Amino acid sequence: MNWILPEGASLGFEGLAAPLQIIRGLGGGTQGQVYEVDLEGERLALKWYLPACIARDGALERRLEASIRATAPNEDFLWPIALLRASPASRPLIRLRQESFGYLMPLRPTAYVGACEHAAGRLAIGLRQVLRACFGLADAFHALHLAGLCYKDVSLGNLFLEPGSGGILICDNDNVAVDGADHGAVLGTPGFMAPEVLLGQARPGADSDLFSLAVLLFRLLTRHDPLKGQMELAIRCLDEPARRRLCGEDPVFIFDPLDDRNRPDPIEHAAALITWPIYPRPLQALFEQTFCRGMKQPSRRALTGQWKQELARTLDRRALCPACGQENFQASGAPALCWSCGAPLPEPITLLLPHGAVLAAPDNELHAHHFDALAGEDLRRPLARVVAHPQDHRRLGLRNLQATTWSAETHDGRVQPVQPGESCSLAALARIQSPAGPIAVQRPTRPSPAA
Amino acid sequence: MPFPDVKLANRPLHFLYLCDCSGSMAASGKMQALNQAIRQSLPGMAAVARDNPEARVLVRAVRFADHAAWHIETPTPVDQLEWRDLHAGGITAMGEALKLVAAALQTPPMEVRALPPVLVLISDGQPTDDFAAGFEALLRVPWAQKAVRLAIALGHDADLEVLQRFIGTEPATAGRSPRRPLQASNATSLAQYIQWASTAVVGAASMPASRVSETPLEPAAGNIPLPDLPPTVLDLTDDVGPLVW
Ligand SMILES: Nc1ncnc2c1ncn2[C@@H]1O[C@H](COP(=O)(O)OP(=O)(O)O)[C@@H](O)[C@H]1O
Ligand SMILES: [Mg+2]
Repeated sequence: MNWILPEGASLGFEGLAAPLQIIRGLGGGTQGQVYEVDLEGERLALKWYLPACIARDGALERRLEASIRATAPNEDFLWPIALLRASPASRPLIRLRQESFGYLMPLRPTAYVGACEHAAGRLAIGLRQVLRACFGLADAFHALHLAGLCYKDVSLGNLFLEPGSGGILICDNDNVAVDGADHGAVLGTPGFMAPEVLLGQARPGADSDLFSLAVLLFRLLTRHDPLKGQMELAIRCLDEPARRRLCGEDPVFIFDPLDDRNRPDPIEHAAALITWPIYPRPLQALFEQTFCRGMKQPSRRALTGQWKQELARTLDRRALCPACGQENFQASGAPALCWSCGAPLPEPITLLLPHGAVLAAPDNELHAHHFDALAGEDLRRPLARVVAHPQDHRRLGLRNLQATTWSAETHDGRVQPVQPGESCSLAALARIQSPAGPIAVQRPTRPSPAA
Repeated sequence: MPFPDVKLANRPLHFLYLCDCSGSMAASGKMQALNQAIRQSLPGMAAVARDNPEARVLVRAVRFADHAAWHIETPTPVDQLEWRDLHAGGITAMGEALKLVAAALQTPPMEVRALPPVLVLISDGQPTDDFAAGFEALLRVPWAQKAVRLAIALGHDADLEVLQRFIGTEPATAGRSPRRPLQASNATSLAQYIQWASTAVVGAASMPASRVSETPLEPAAGNIPLPDLPPTVLDLTDDVGPLVW
């Protein structure tokens, strides 16, 4: 790589009291190069633009300044912190003839890897983490859209995942603008762009973000593309005109209930056929809403709030197959078979809450939104977590993650305190009183087949 | 529990170098510069291939001097590629090289479904055989018509007219000047062009990058919008005076 900024050097910038040390180049893209830098002991990232990019995008500087003033919608964005221009003394050290500028942003921690690692199947990650990442994405775009902003360039390349937790980070926030204000040159990334933007009939905005978001969620959940079915197989050379037809002129969702022209091929598109049935019907319905009616009617697409709600509910329905241990997301009530090994899934213990129900499976969590109808779904601060007994993994308990003591009531009416950090066995309990609200423990009505 | 072990659907992306190995390439270290440039570009190319799981990047190379022959005949995944040095000597059988590539782009051996192939022709002189016949043979093959064709002229004796015919004469579209062969006048610019072709262009052909309103949504002639050329990064520090041809 030919680095524009000299690695190892200290550079002065206008408006920065202390110099920045350029630690090393991290990568380069179509717009510029990104460096790890040190500002008075703090590690940050600096994106430096190529003159061609600045020339093409006249509103770039104005947009960045507006974003910097507005501050990040939530902490999942690697949001611009400050716009930087080299000081006169440092300008000669920058290896470009034309003037250029850049911006500072938080540095992505090394535990976060590019989402394409998951798409390529090279990441050890579980379904729970993938669903949490999807929730994080919906939540981040919810905050962004509520702030009146739009992102415009949703794609796999701008998302990072932490496989252990399902945490996310969103980079490349330099196209963000007030929805409808339309300063900016970016149209999006083909494959993620809404058909009306790809065809040049509309400018990118919050409605087209909703389409791109759904594509990204689909790709994370299925490792497949929502528009690549039989119609893609019919294309010999997948070039720009072909992509335009597939994604713009005649886009058909591979699981469109009414149009079966683009069904997945059992061999070429096996990923979609294996993963799609894992997800509960209401979650599938949001994809159908966005990719069927919403394909041509942008205002019909599933909203970020709907995604948040369904993704959170899907996580609430998580249960482990007693035969193979694989994660399942059970529809309420109906008896089901494990998607992975086909074994019947026993009816689980269910925690009934004032607003929702959570199946008892290790790592499932209770949150404020389960108790308070006005609290938006938020997975950041769990109030309780289902845990397996350290000696007997089949015995499940509920751990108190709150700062206040619970009182747990057994079937025979005994009441016992559960201190913060302690867990109580779910087998013996009828209900728990927590400061957030009551938790009722519902045991299966039929005996579990595994027992 | 792990995410289901499912394979992402992908398509092959064939990348072919056509390297001039005529005697003139021995002068002023051009042959060594080309060997170095390609070898140095491989890690970056492998990284791009990794980042584009929808593409299976496969590399081949043809050498041409008195005759054309495969230097790397088996389509090889980039991360398994070892670049053996090319050696200069002989005349410039460029037409024959095009015929060799034309045969390789027939289906079969080409897959039925693929991404647009990328052909990179590097030359420092004039073809000594029937270029026109070779070029006609190439353009009769549908995969060659669909291919992204790039040409790098080494030094001032390269036949720009022939290289221009190879890449095609695309009319100037709004905001874009017509495509020209890339002219490498020294080892540094050669390395930059090779790097650009093997990373940015491979990226563009395998997975689309962000579009800006200025890039025409419907590409005029080429079927892949080519990324910007690398910026001229000024060499301020280590100006050791690269070879000048
Ligand atoms: N805040 C950051 N911390 C660490 N690496 C980053 C950060 N932002 C971008 N990168 C890396 O820098 C490279 C180029 O970044 P990007 O902004 O996507 O460039 P472009 O938009 O020009 O394609 C990518 O490899 C990306 O992973
Ligand atoms: Mg980017």
